[in-house]
Amino acid sequence: MLSYIGRRLLWAIPTLIFVSFISFVIIQLPPGDFVTAYAAQLRNSGDYITEAQEAALRAEWGLNDPLLVQYWRWISNIIFYGDFGRSLEWNSAVSDLIWERLGLTLAISTLSMVFTWLIAIPVGVYSATRQYSVFDYVFTVFGFLGKGVPDFLLALILMWMTFVWLNMDVGGLVSPQFEGQPWDLAKFGNMLTHIWIPLVVLATGGAAGLIRVMRANMLDELRKPYVETAYAQGFGERTVVWRYPVRVALNPFISTVGWALPALFSGDVITAVVLNLPTTGPLLLQALKMQDMYLAGSFILILSVFTVIGTVLSDILLALSDPRIRFS
Amino acid sequence: MLSALVKEGKLPAVDQRLPEKPTVVEVPEIGQYGGDWRRAYKGPGDRWGPTKLMEERVVKWSQQPGGPLKLKPGYISSYSVSEDSREFTFTLLKGLKWSDGQPVTTEDVRFWYEDVFLNKAILANIDQTLAPGGKPMQLEIVDEQTFKVKFDQPYVYFLEILAKDSTGDPSLDRPSFLFPKHYLKQFNNKYASEDELKAAAAKFGVAKWTDLWGSKGAATAWWQNPDLPVITAWKIEKPAPSDVVTMVRNPYYYAVDQAGNQLPYIDRISHRLFSDQEAFNLMIVQGQVDMQMRYVEPQDFTFYKENEKKGNYAVHRWTQAQTWSLVPNLNMKDEALRGLFEKSDFRQALSIGIDRETINELIFSGLAEARQASPVTGSPNYDAELEKHWAEYDPKKANALLDKVGLDKRDSEGFRLRPDGKRVQIVVEMQHANGPKTMEIIAANYKDIGIELLPRIIDRTQWDANRDNNSFQMQWYPFDRLSVVAADPRIMMGNDSYAHQYYLWYSTKGSSGIEPPADHPIRRVFTDWDKASKALNREQADAALNDLIKTFVTEGWVIGVVGESPALSIVKTNFKNFPDNLIEDDITRGIGLGATQQMWMKQ
Repeated sequence: MLSYIGRRLLWAIPTLIFVSFISFVIIQLPPGDFVTAYAAQLRNSGDYITEAQEAALRAEWGLNDPLLVQYWRWISNIIFYGDFGRSLEWNSAVSDLIWERLGLTLAISTLSMVFTWLIAIPVGVYSATRQYSVFDYVFTVFGFLGKGVPDFLLALILMWMTFVWLNMDVGGLVSPQFEGQPWDLAKFGNMLTHIWIPLVVLATGGAAGLIRVMRANMLDELRKPYVETAYAQGFGERTVVWRYPVRVALNPFISTVGWALPALFSGDVITAVVLNLPTTGPLLLQALKMQDMYLAGSFILILSVFTVIGTVLSDILLALSDPRIRFS
Repeated sequence: MLSALVKEGKLPAVDQRLPEKPTVVEVPEIGQYGGDWRRAYKGPGDRWGPTKLMEERVVKWSQQPGGPLKLKPGYISSYSVSEDSREFTFTLLKGLKWSDGQPVTTEDVRFWYEDVFLNKAILANIDQTLAPGGKPMQLEIVDEQTFKVKFDQPYVYFLEILAKDSTGDPSLDRPSFLFPKHYLKQFNNKYASEDELKAAAAKFGVAKWTDLWGSKGAATAWWQNPDLPVITAWKIEKPAPSDVVTMVRNPYYYAVDQAGNQLPYIDRISHRLFSDQEAFNLMIVQGQVDMQMRYVEPQDFTFYKENEKKGNYAVHRWTQAQTWSLVPNLNMKDEALRGLFEKSDFRQALSIGIDRETINELIFSGLAEARQASPVTGSPNYDAELEKHWAEYDPKKANALLDKVGLDKRDSEGFRLRPDGKRVQIVVEMQHANGPKTMEIIAANYKDIGIELLPRIIDRTQWDANRDNNSFQMQWYPFDRLSVVAADPRIMMGNDSYAHQYYLWYSTKGSSGIEPPADHPIRRVFTDWDKASKALNREQADAALNDLIKTFVTEGWVIGVVGESPALSIVKTNFKNFPDNLIEDDITRGIGLGATQQMWMKQ
């Protein structure tokens, strides 16, 4: 078991190096660079910079250096000094920008994952044990709807309805009067009135898929001989279903724990943008648009670290729950 | 807020903070002090939003609702211009102070000129607006309050340019001849040693000391540095990257209302971060925005109106000095299409083939007007005839014109064929929200005259880059700067619009860009501007400038569609002294023309 974990961790290192390099390259692939984007932004707000000034900025920020040199400058500072560089656009240290938002992102993603599971597991089990019943169809229809409606649209509709019918304050994570204030009980309570919208939106999309997976896995398991044996032993349905088939059917859940965070970062950026959440998504999107490569690259790197750690955790959990994994 | 500080002895009394003869602003209604004005901003790139709320200039534009634009002195008591327009004299308000209480004198002007403006380490190249004919302005200090700016050649439009661009780089608020020497000398290589500069750079977390300067400079951009002394009505308190950026009133601001109360009335301005338009619109209808013009979009007008009661605000309008236009590229690489665009009849057909009234009704809620890309009402260059040039809808005549230029062969779908046998297709690129719907209408209009318009939605960066790289055929473009054209005639001359390469050739004196053909009318535009910028007096200059505008409009290089569109503002019902019906333009500094210092909030 220990050697297994060790192997997984060792593999993580080349993976991360590879990912960091590829992401750094991809961010810079579109034509132009940060200065082009910056000049465009200035122009849009009625300000001009001359070609000479653009060239000076490029030289100042080292954008003319070969890609490898730029990459090394960035990654070596991270490895040796823990310094993620400066965001060209925000004009401040990347780490100042990232950590606060990362915490919130983690909180929301964990909560939405728990929420997803709370919906998906019971519903999946129910659908499998009562296949083709009325409720099975109802859940299926809802599930497909949840999968089919784009998250951002659902977010907009929910916000609009909340605002019009409940007259609640929506958008963002807290009401304006709490923004920029230190966290206390009042602020936390206020956050709860805001956070349910993103949670519902993110959970419905995720839950729909997982319900189907759970249902299919359960159906496979329920047909196996050991289930019949258990029934023959006189166990009640509840005991049989929850003790064995459910545990096996949970495999895909456990193996995707590690992906919950990247999913929230990437797949749900638009939702975060629409809801105006102070999470990492909107910041990452903007950084990519502006080719602010230190900020975007650092984001993707941190994200990859989380993904790799999450995957290792999933693997360990799987190995614990399913001996077959360890020896294959 | 301030009187408490005075009582605590942390601040001198108000008469000691004001200049001897403070500038008097005639406000519509005497206001109350206090309040926190909430608005929204889009991130670090949105520095100009907050900046335009409170820019200071030696001279600023002012306007009475619906009236003409006039120049009025800013933080100076008087200014004069010599007979030959080569010498400009400015006198600072006596007793004017920086926001930290230090006096503002001509020593600050000298510091700006000698140690920054002419300092190659900080400013590698001088903006041509301050160096007409390539010779930088000269400065003469007369006494503690008075200084003179001199040029080798007449410079009739210098004041207009100062009111717009002021003294340009470095720094974000374009210091307008003034830099707080007592504070900034510690970051200047003429006063500080190399080690001190290194330490300062390290303190601000930048790589080298020159990064402290410039419009993104950690030390000299007011937006970044709360310690920087300013003369603006507010100063930064909590800079980005905080989620809420706040600005707080400057206790030493130099202006008073007619009753002698020091301005500004409002204590604080808070900017909340958002990134998506819908998120911002929700803030508005929930009543979380007290007053804002930036990002309030005409296409959401009905939505704003419907929710006025709910959000306790009213929608107010100014007029934008721009015309939404189709800008063809006269330097495009497709020779056959370029040849067509060089024909006046073809351009006229494209212009009168557009049903502008329908576009105004459907896209702009009928709030704009069908017009050409020409100076707007209230501009000193306004001309009613130019405004309507080729702006009527006449598809029949358009078809006749197109037949006349030799496009009389059509394919099976009814589209005209070019001389080389290809269909007449024009790719139009757009990045603004109102683009797609507008292009639907125009494409249908153009189908009626046998021309295929192919709309492409692209990213803003790409949209800009394509003009730089000369790789577009046509763009949907907000053609602005149509108020005081003298302050910035560049886009009319093709810069960054319909003939960027020709303009480059002109502005670099032939070292880059493309030379226009010898008989090309754009050469008249260039010679007119040369005339205007060298003219000995205003009459001559204005005559040449108006010729330039006339050539630009009558040639019809740019196809204006709808303009004088509304610049909408959200104004809360308790937010007072907000003037209506002014011009919104970059030249007149956006919301700045409305004098935010006079606005107040009923408690």
